[in-house]
Amino acid sequence: MRFAAIIFALAVSASAAIAQPFPQPLPPGAYPPGAYPPGAPPAAPVVPLSVLQADLKAQSGSDTVRFQRESYVLDATSQQVLARQAQWLLARPWIRANIEGHADGRLTRDYALALGERRAAAVRNFLLAQGVSPGQLNVVSWGRERPTSAQLHDATWLQNSRVVTVLKQAPQQQFGPQPLPQPDLPNYR
Amino acid sequence: MPDLKAKTLCALACAFLTILPTAAVAQDTLPVIAIPPVPTPRNVETDAGQTGVIGIQIADQIESDLRSSGDFMVVPRNTLKQYSPTEAGAPLYQNWTGTGASNLVTGYVQAREDGRLTVACYLYDLKQRREIARKGYVVAANEWRRAAHRCADAFYERISGAAGFFDSTVAYVAETGTRVAPVKRLAIMNWDATDHRYLTQGGTTVLSPRLSPDGERIAYVSFSGGAPHVRIRDVDGNEDRALLPQGTISFAPRWSPDGRRVLLSMAVDGNTDIYLVGLDGNYPQRLTSTPGVDTAASFSPDGSRIVFESDRSGRQQVYVMNSNGSGQQRISFGAAGYASPAWSPSGDRIAFTRATPGKLQIGVMRSDGGEEKLLTDGWQDEAPVWAGGRTVLFQRTDPQSTHAAIYSVQITGGQPKRLTTPQPGSDPDWSGGSE
Repeated sequence: MRFAAIIFALAVSASAAIAQPFPQPLPPGAYPPGAYPPGAPPAAPVVPLSVLQADLKAQSGSDTVRFQRESYVLDATSQQVLARQAQWLLARPWIRANIEGHADGRLTRDYALALGERRAAAVRNFLLAQGVSPGQLNVVSWGRERPTSAQLHDATWLQNSRVVTVLKQAPQQQFGPQPLPQPDLPNYR
Repeated sequence: MPDLKAKTLCALACAFLTILPTAAVAQDTLPVIAIPPVPTPRNVETDAGQTGVIGIQIADQIESDLRSSGDFMVVPRNTLKQYSPTEAGAPLYQNWTGTGASNLVTGYVQAREDGRLTVACYLYDLKQRREIARKGYVVAANEWRRAAHRCADAFYERISGAAGFFDSTVAYVAETGTRVAPVKRLAIMNWDATDHRYLTQGGTTVLSPRLSPDGERIAYVSFSGGAPHVRIRDVDGNEDRALLPQGTISFAPRWSPDGRRVLLSMAVDGNTDIYLVGLDGNYPQRLTSTPGVDTAASFSPDGSRIVFESDRSGRQQVYVMNSNGSGQQRISFGAAGYASPAWSPSGDRIAFTRATPGKLQIGVMRSDGGEEKLLTDGWQDEAPVWAGGRTVLFQRTDPQSTHAAIYSVQITGGQPKRLTTPQPGSDPDWSGGSE
């Protein structure tokens, strides 16, 4: 009964997105991510996705990599950014991410969808090669449907030819151990 | 005497033609039609107004339909005489030969006891002085417009030889919101923009509606759940389902001519290929397997062949293959990208989007790739679909307003005409004609 009450209180606080005090750091290796410790689940805070996304951007340099027109080749800069993104994701295996591919508005609609997927797949394969778990990544193509600029001009194509790593928290991890906003907490490595 | 008059007129016209040869060549071949107001035996108040007014509106509608095809010239209404309902079936030819028209449209509209209307229409050849088509319809008073469309369809078919399309529907994507946060809704309307309806409410981005051959269902692309995938929905009902299991990225749907299967593109691990899927979504049959992008597939009217685009050569080009995927063969070889092909209802032509730096244009070619011809010269014209055997609908984006609109263009040439839609629109599709 008390257990249920705690769950309920947690659910209420989670849905209201009220910041909770951070829990005491758990001893390293106390339990693997995703597994509940014996007894009641820890009163972990729900870190808003926007905070996580900002952290990914800060740590990796960017959440976005760009491409040449009609290309899906990752250049050296993109590879550096993605390698850091991979480190970030490896450190937080309970977090899932959409790999969202985009193409510019001067390509026909179907081809833009295909190219967006091709770019996103190139990024996903790079992240997998860095050791990121396939279950963490989900490929999405937006084609030319979400340009970054309201301008309709040929000069904007480079900004639109991009792949963005968009974080999604795994829903079943809601009450499990959560990543803290401070980076590189040793007990989570 | 009337013959003499006609000859004088012809002599004058011929002189005119020789003076302005370039302007006259196209007009010379166009039939000229006289469409006087349609009379009523007794002016009766109906649900849709007075029958006398409806008669004028019917003549307006037939004129508007025939004009929109670009295949006719219409004699100005104010130069024409009135006629009585009894004359509709037996015109006094001498009243019309002086108008310069080659054809005459007559008819009548009569209120019935049950509140409905009888709409009759006739088409005459004024040179041979004989009736060449007639139609009669009994319709609810507020459906007089459909009767007028059907009359225009019949006349168009009789004179041009191609199936009429005025009593047809257009599906498209209505676009509001901003470019960075667009709101897209599936919409459907009659050819002349009446009976406009939204099928989705804009919460989810939707693309590429394709009406089934019977017009009862729409295949389209939806981003519901995050990733683009093909869905099938009823036009009038509530059923709306994903065609393939969740998690597959699929797009570019097109119906088979029998309406039992859907061509689509599936993107898996960076490779987009064309598949043929039954309406139950089971056992997709893979038709292409080259690395790279194979997409935008469209059936030939007999269902035996498929045209599609592929970048296997390094750039988007148009290819054809048999409906089982065999015999793939490139047919476009111009110095440009070729995309989004659509096979014509007559089977002999393929419409396409041609991409050159800074420009997208609509063109047609023979189904073996010959006789390539560009139809438009916009900044971004794309997504062609056929509306009958001679008309192509497409999407044009205006670089200043950044809005897209739907246009029609004749494959014989001429300026594209904008279709009326309540908002900016994209991705047009056409339902097929009345017969």
